[in-house]
Amino acid sequence: MDDTPVVADGLGRRYGSRLWALREVSLAVPAGQFVAVMGATGSGKSTLLHCLAGLDRPTAGRVRLAGRDITRLREAALTRLRRDRAGFVFQSYNLLSTLTVARNVLLPARLGGPRVGPAALAAMLDAVGLGGLGDRPVGELSGGQRQRVAVARALITRPAVVFADEPTGALDPATGGQVLRLLRAAVERDGMTVVMVSHDPLAAAHSDRLLLLREGRLVGDTRTPDASSISALLAVAA
Amino acid sequence: MRAGIAAQALRAHRWAFVGPASTQLVAAVVLSATLTVQVSVDGAPELSEMLTAFALIAVYLTILLVGVTMNAAIAQQARDVALLRAVGATPGRIRRAVAVEAAVVAVPAGIAGYLLGLLAGWAWLGTLVDHGLAPAGARFTPEPLLLAPILGILVVTSTVGALIAAVRPARARPAIALADAATRRPRFTAVRLGLGLLLVAGGVTLSVSIADLAADAADDAALFVMLALCVGVGLLGPFVLRSAIAVGRPLLALAGGTGRLAADNVAVLSRALSGALVPLVLAVAFAAVKVAVHSTTTHVTGRTGPAAEAWLDYSGTAVYCLFAAVAAVNTLATVVVGRRRDLALLGLAGATRGRVLAVVVCEAGIVTVTGLVLAAGVAGVTLVPMVHTALGTWTPYVPPSTLAAGVLATAAVVAAGTVLPAALLTRRPPIGQVG
Repeated sequence: MDDTPVVADGLGRRYGSRLWALREVSLAVPAGQFVAVMGATGSGKSTLLHCLAGLDRPTAGRVRLAGRDITRLREAALTRLRRDRAGFVFQSYNLLSTLTVARNVLLPARLGGPRVGPAALAAMLDAVGLGGLGDRPVGELSGGQRQRVAVARALITRPAVVFADEPTGALDPATGGQVLRLLRAAVERDGMTVVMVSHDPLAAAHSDRLLLLREGRLVGDTRTPDASSISALLAVAA
Repeated sequence: MRAGIAAQALRAHRWAFVGPASTQLVAAVVLSATLTVQVSVDGAPELSEMLTAFALIAVYLTILLVGVTMNAAIAQQARDVALLRAVGATPGRIRRAVAVEAAVVAVPAGIAGYLLGLLAGWAWLGTLVDHGLAPAGARFTPEPLLLAPILGILVVTSTVGALIAAVRPARARPAIALADAATRRPRFTAVRLGLGLLLVAGGVTLSVSIADLAADAADDAALFVMLALCVGVGLLGPFVLRSAIAVGRPLLALAGGTGRLAADNVAVLSRALSGALVPLVLAVAFAAVKVAVHSTTTHVTGRTGPAAEAWLDYSGTAVYCLFAAVAAVNTLATVVVGRRRDLALLGLAGATRGRVLAVVVCEAGIVTVTGLVLAAGVAGVTLVPMVHTALGTWTPYVPPSTLAAGVLATAAVVAAGTVLPAALLTRRPPIGQVG
């Protein structure tokens, strides 16, 4: 059985009756790879991430997540697969603001996912630099701290793949850099797979592989160059 | 308990449940009052029959309104639900959490409503005896056992309403729910316009055609006239509100920037606000028709009709109006709560809290005036053929003091749904709402 974390085959997503946000996208992300998906606003990069992660269903083509075909999977089974094998970091609205840091991180476990012991929780909070803040309501944290809570929540179940949608979009470069280094460390240390959508060349520079989208089609797939070359590539793609 | 964490997350939205809870409170008051009076007048079959009808109508309206308010309550939690779904809450788990919340909300509302209903029932029984409708010897007998069926009805309607309301958010693909709600645009405007015009035209035609019917049959048909007109008006609501603003803009401009801002806001919100117009217009028109039928008879013939009959009529009308008022307040409040960030942004853009509230008061004024004009139209269309058939006059009569009370009551209901929540929401500094 093929355990490649993410495989898409002829993926398409249409909104309404005419507009194809995504067309004929095929790709495979092997384990331990950090992939950045880039493209102009409206190029379909968030749609691609949502379809790959099982947050949305494609109109055409197939998606395999952690070795399972999710294209026709029932909603409850798909949810459990997401909970156990995938982690999520969004640009904003990542956390339940009335719950504490610890409860937010434990959310997937409390929803029936893989169990997390107190030692594992403490170690994870230390790893993201939030040691000792477990009992604070997330409403009291800064933007960078909140995003680190989201990263901790995404990593704590040791998922096959972490999906990140503009994880640094609302952060300054220094704070954003911290969040990206956390994701990079998970790739290096645990062999985690990361699929990240971003429009920021500095953020994308942390990845191993760069995918470029234009008008819903995959127009580039390369090893990630440095930030200035990424900017040049983006300019050409746009 | 596995539903625990989801329920805990939803509990953050306590305020969202004010709508269903207030509806349940009113329902419990009406049920408790009618059933207690029924127990007290044991042995007056005619009155007993009518009380049963009241209670059944209350149950029916409860099912309807709890469903509607629960829908709004759950819509307010759409983003939290989407996040929970993304990180691993199955649709079933969301449904269970919502059902538990709804059942829990119903219990305190039911108990408080039962107690208030005893008070209302006691007062009502007194008036029924005074009007000779209940036997003079009837003694007020509170029945504690009634609490059980009342709570049962509320918990069941609340849970069922919540489960139905949760079907869509629980099943929605998280990606779509996480997307900005502002990107979703309303559709079917032409269909809505056509249907609205059809209902209004149908209502007017029916009203004219029943003018020749016997009084009893005409009375029954009049209810359909009013329903058709009110639903039609509700469908036309966005167009009507925008027209009202176009007409009233010069007047609103007198209030300066505040008035212009209010006009723009109502135009943008016209679709959401028109949801409140249906219960508002229905209640005002219904009350106006009931009052005018009696007062016009008195005015034209110089004789007072049987007071007892009028009193029963008014009692029933009060129950309908109470439910309609709760529905209107809830719909309006939902709109205001949904605008929390917009109101905060006004504050950040330099408006004082007083100015923000002044804008909301202006908006409330627009809604009140539009509602009253529409209600007068609906009541007129229903009434004129009725009084012409019965009394030979073309002009219904309502005493000025009653008219003024009606206008004030309508304004109070609109204010309770707009100005009150806005005042509560703007108590804290705006930046906390935006961030």
